Amino acid sequence: MPLMLVVLPWMALAIPILSLPLGFPWNQTVIYRLDILGLKLPVYLEGLAWGFTWPLRIGVTISAALLFYLTTQQTALIAMLFKFRLPFRFIYMVAATLQLIPLMVDEVRSIYQAQLARGLRTDVGIVKKLWNFLLLVVPLTLSSLGKVQTRAVALESRGFSAPVAKTVLYDIRFKTVDYLFFTCMAAVTLYLGYLYITEGYSPLVHLRYLLAG
Amino acid sequence: MLDFSRYPIVVEGFSYSYPSKPNVLNELSFRVERGEALGIIGPNGAGKSTICRALNGLVPHFYGGRVRGRIYVAGMDTLKHTVAELSTKVGLVFQEPETQLSGLAITVEDEISFGLSMLGYPKEVILERTREALEKVGLRGLEKRSPFELSGGQQQRLAIATVLAMRPEVLVLDEPAAQLDPIGKTQVFNVLRDLLRDGATIVVAEHEIEELATFTDHMILLDKGRIISAGVSRDVLRQVELLKSSGVDPPSVTELAYLVENACGLNLDRYPITIDEAVSLFLELLEDGGRV
Repeated sequence: MPLMLVVLPWMALAIPILSLPLGFPWNQTVIYRLDILGLKLPVYLEGLAWGFTWPLRIGVTISAALLFYLTTQQTALIAMLFKFRLPFRFIYMVAATLQLIPLMVDEVRSIYQAQLARGLRTDVGIVKKLWNFLLLVVPLTLSSLGKVQTRAVALESRGFSAPVAKTVLYDIRFKTVDYLFFTCMAAVTLYLGYLYITEGYSPLVHLRYLLAG
Repeated sequence: MLDFSRYPIVVEGFSYSYPSKPNVLNELSFRVERGEALGIIGPNGAGKSTICRALNGLVPHFYGGRVRGRIYVAGMDTLKHTVAELSTKVGLVFQEPETQLSGLAITVEDEISFGLSMLGYPKEVILERTREALEKVGLRGLEKRSPFELSGGQQQRLAIATVLAMRPEVLVLDEPAAQLDPIGKTQVFNVLRDLLRDGATIVVAEHEIEELATFTDHMILLDKGRIISAGVSRDVLRQVELLKSSGVDPPSVTELAYLVENACGLNLDRYPITIDEAVSLFLELLEDGGRV
């Protein structure tokens, strides 16, 4: 349900902007006329639908990413990336990101507490809250930059950029289940893609209408 | 010709300027004999960390800057070899345990094997050396834990293990105890003592002079990038006034002996540098005093 916290504000923002005549290009079907200060503002179906579906999509993306982060065994992920022969720097980037999330959370917490200890007010309005957020982000960014330098030094002194083939300690093999899963995923993705292009609120569909005049 | 098998570290007239900070090190020359422990002491900003980084080639390969002089590590000129090549000769342990973790390892075991797998060692060798390194720092039983869940002292011992796994000829530690609580400090220094007994060569830059005094053979006192005193630890540490004027606190027992000597007009031929030595010295003095 915390997802709703992300999705609902987005909807609140997106629906009025897209469904009112503010320049959303695919607006065609007027479904209602709003009476504001004597102005009859048209409300468009297309904009309404977009404003409703896009925040949901963002919600889906976030929850999928979270699901991935929480359920994937990191060693297995790294071993698999190795198997795909991706450049090591890229693999390190992925792995370090996953590893650093908990560290970052700790860091944020301690910075926040430090700011509280120095008299940061939390019982404030939304504008001041945004300002508070900035007070958190700036030290976090600075301290992260410092840490990056130290980590680079540490990695370098442990042979990170040695020009040799790296050894992977974990072996990973694709099992029948994995192949099956991949095939199903590919099939479902293709089918959904097909539906999206032919039926859904795809920009492509409307492009066709637009081109036809 | 220098005898590199006897002196794994030879520093000759080494001067260095960071790109943003000139003359951090000035004309340093010293040697470290195989199997001995060298302590580098000095106030903050004296160049302790810089000389540590110079020993494994991070200075100047990573930091840039201007260099004069030479450093030979196990016979290799640090200016001509990459940090990766030197990483099997010199193991560098940093001040903060957390930031030197690779960020890639999920378990303690992975963390130790990271360096070896970076250098492409075969799997069997890696596993064997990892076990060996774990054993040496006393972290057996924690193999499967996350490095970030360990206590400070354990993390620092893990950091030592990560470089031990590379079987370096020299272990260089840059203030390994600065961020640790007393228990962590004791753990780390005990590991160093054990390693030394097994014949390792160790260079430690440290503020914890009391601990350092108990196991280093030689010491170098750095101030503003210059060596202002060097020699057998005991001789360096007895220069109480010089130490204090350069911003380093001598071991409290040494300082006490110095003050007692001055206050009582005695002439001590030997200053204590550990508590045990101090106890026996003062007992002796008291007995003498009783007789007089």
